[in-house]
Amino acid sequence: MKQLCMSLLLALVLVQIAAAQEPGQTVPTVEVAPVGKVQVKAGAITRVELDFRIGSEFHINSNKPHSELLIPTTLRLNTTDPIRIASVTYPAGQDMSFPFAPNDKLSVYSGDFAITTAVKALPSAINGTYPVSGELHFQACDRSACYPPKSIPVKFEVTVVNR
Amino acid sequence: MKRNALVFAALLIAIVAMIAAGKYITRVRHHNSVTLVGDVRGVPAPDFELASLDGRNVKLSDYRGKAVVLNFWATWCSPCKVEMPWFVDLQKKYGNEGLVVLGIAMDDSDNAKIAQFASEMGVNYPVLLGTDKVSDQYGNVQFLPTTFYIDRDGRIIGKGTGLLGRGEIEENIQKALASRVAGVNKAQTSPTPSTAAKPGTAAQ
Repeated sequence: MKQLCMSLLLALVLVQIAAAQEPGQTVPTVEVAPVGKVQVKAGAITRVELDFRIGSEFHINSNKPHSELLIPTTLRLNTTDPIRIASVTYPAGQDMSFPFAPNDKLSVYSGDFAITTAVKALPSAINGTYPVSGELHFQACDRSACYPPKSIPVKFEVTVVNR
Repeated sequence: MKRNALVFAALLIAIVAMIAAGKYITRVRHHNSVTLVGDVRGVPAPDFELASLDGRNVKLSDYRGKAVVLNFWATWCSPCKVEMPWFVDLQKKYGNEGLVVLGIAMDDSDNAKIAQFASEMGVNYPVLLGTDKVSDQYGNVQFLPTTFYIDRDGRIIGKGTGLLGRGEIEENIQKALASRVAGVNKAQTSPTPSTAAKPGTAAQ
């Protein structure tokens, strides 16, 4: 009976794999890793690295795609006083060719990539923990199809520590 | 042992039946409109009315009697750019035989940008401005390019998701052209809709 159950399970897994491999049957995913403790002193700046992982088989446009028609990956963050985002630094994209346009190079992110933000606390900041939230906007493709632009939430907390 | 084999066979048949049922549920009623799901071959193509780039309202049913290629695309879709010149060529090649390519732009961008893109690509067929409703009607089109091949009788004979080879596209077009309107002779199957662009003419 155990063998029977195992065989059925295997059959189901194979069916699922077969279904998932049909074009357009899988959905691209981009996930953000949890952000650890972020501390900053009043009047100072600290760098926060946001780590993202793109589902295998997919890529997204970099922040500077080679065509203005392509939708760049962008990070928008909202803060409240006394926290400010001083800058957002995107990684350079990888120039890659794909079967759908072997002669063109697209600037993309795939696999893991990180965006670095510079978080600043105003000089008047008092001790406390402040939320930062926003979203990563991207548009994904695989080797033969593209998917509508999408956003995922990004959030972390910044603690102002004055001694 | 024999009993186990029978149980196994029964369960396997049940699984296959469930998968087959899922595949062949061809349409469901959703918000009072027909929505395509599963295997769509042989299903009547849901009718729609969409604005074209040149300001006309175009209905799919205007093209009954024609072989229609319904190509969902967007300016941000690189694979779509590969197919478009093929559709331009195929429209030229088969336009006189009754082929109509309809491009449905699923962009959020403004019409001028879409028109500029279509012009740069040399698009010689009508470009319609897609809506969520028509996307839902055609099974919630999430992957671009997605292309439906519709025969002269208004039935879907094929669907392509993602970039296909030109040969496969042309094969589907030839199948659609080879179809006949039910109960009508070949000589009667090529009406030209008064509101629609003629095949082979620029839509912009």
